[in-house]
Amino acid sequence: MRYEYTVETEDLAKYYYMGKYVIKALDGINLKIRRGEYVSIMGPSGSGKTTLFNMIGGLDRPTRGKVYIDEVDISKLDAYELAWLRARKIGYIFQTFNLIPVLTALENVMLPMIFVGTPREQRIKKATELLSAVGLGDRLHHKPGELSGGQQQRVAIARALANDPAIVLADEPTGNLDLHTGLEIINLLRTLNKEKGVTIVTATHDLKMIDVSDRIIYLRDGKIDRIETRAEVTVEL
Amino acid sequence: MSSEGSWKIGEIHFPLSEAFKISIESIRKRFVRAAITTAAVILGIAFLNSLMMMSAINSVVYKQAATPAYQWWLLFISLLVCGVGITNSMLIAVAERYKEIGTMKCLGALDRHILLMFLNESIVIGALGGILGYIFGVIAAVIYAFVSIKNPASIVGVAFTQPSQIIPGLSVLPSFLSLLILSITLAVFLSMAATLYPAYYAAKLKPAEALRYEV
Repeated sequence: MRYEYTVETEDLAKYYYMGKYVIKALDGINLKIRRGEYVSIMGPSGSGKTTLFNMIGGLDRPTRGKVYIDEVDISKLDAYELAWLRARKIGYIFQTFNLIPVLTALENVMLPMIFVGTPREQRIKKATELLSAVGLGDRLHHKPGELSGGQQQRVAIARALANDPAIVLADEPTGNLDLHTGLEIINLLRTLNKEKGVTIVTATHDLKMIDVSDRIIYLRDGKIDRIETRAEVTVEL
Repeated sequence: MSSEGSWKIGEIHFPLSEAFKISIESIRKRFVRAAITTAAVILGIAFLNSLMMMSAINSVVYKQAATPAYQWWLLFISLLVCGVGITNSMLIAVAERYKEIGTMKCLGALDRHILLMFLNESIVIGALGGILGYIFGVIAAVIYAFVSIKNPASIVGVAFTQPSQIIPGLSVLPSFLSLLILSITLAVFLSMAATLYPAYYAAKLKPAEALRYEV
């Protein structure tokens, strides 16, 4: 079954209570992300990018509102169901790569497949294919410590795709990389998005991301400031 | 759009063998800290064994069977100190791996899988510490015998092979064997008990919080 919208949020809000003060990290976000879209969420630090990322990724629970992933309201799921959702429906890419340091590139990519119960031979085959697809076919048995930042991020991208997720969430994927490597990673994400039809949502303030995004959502103080499609951005430039 | 699930939640797997492999690799990666933790276990268990063996030797030489009560207290305190040491070291291990724990949870790990990984580590450390502690304890007892009594070789032979009264169920076995079993069991139990709180704390971490943590 195919779903028109991979991600949908309804009046999504997250408040943090600090003594007397209420910090509204997100305040009434309504968002629809279509299957196969490449969406960037932009905004200054503290605008709620990461909080939104955590909400869509099922890593944190909203104070109010709903998040639908493939038309299922994930705020209703229990811990077990959330864990399955994270394993099967969502791929994560982080600013700091977050590979498991004691495992090789191949084992890191295989890890999400262990959780969903893919047989070993299939795991090895798929992980090898994915690593080759991101250009690391010759680095399968290297540990993260033996790889450069760009290479580590490629492993993380391969890992995010391991279970063919409905959506790949990337939180500042180029934040720890130099200009050139960052551009390579962005182009890789765009290629995967076009060729495999992977839905990608990135939270970023990397302006290089604008060129490849279908839509850019600007956040400010926990609210959507404006949404631009790529056509509009190009006109502005 | 419906609020009911239109796709089915499946099962999550994490075979023990995979958890064990990650635990072993983690110990190898952080070898020095694991070695210090193991040293704590070794000291406690070696003390236990030397005490037991020396009193076995004394019982053969002086026909005095009982171990003085204060020695039991000493033993208890030393094992307690050893347990606190392991807890402390495991808490640091958890703090070091906040991000790893958060990542594992993002990939689909359940709380109990995180618990399993840390408990696996504690079992390996416990078993290793138990065996090494036993060996060092026996060596200490043999040195004691050779330094302080006449005709040590035969006395040690008798003391080590006579049935031990320490553990009721194992009294058929020669004391060197029953002590080995006691050492490993106690070391693994001690190590697991000391790891329980840190491991539980790690398992309960919320993924968003664990990821936010900067080391």
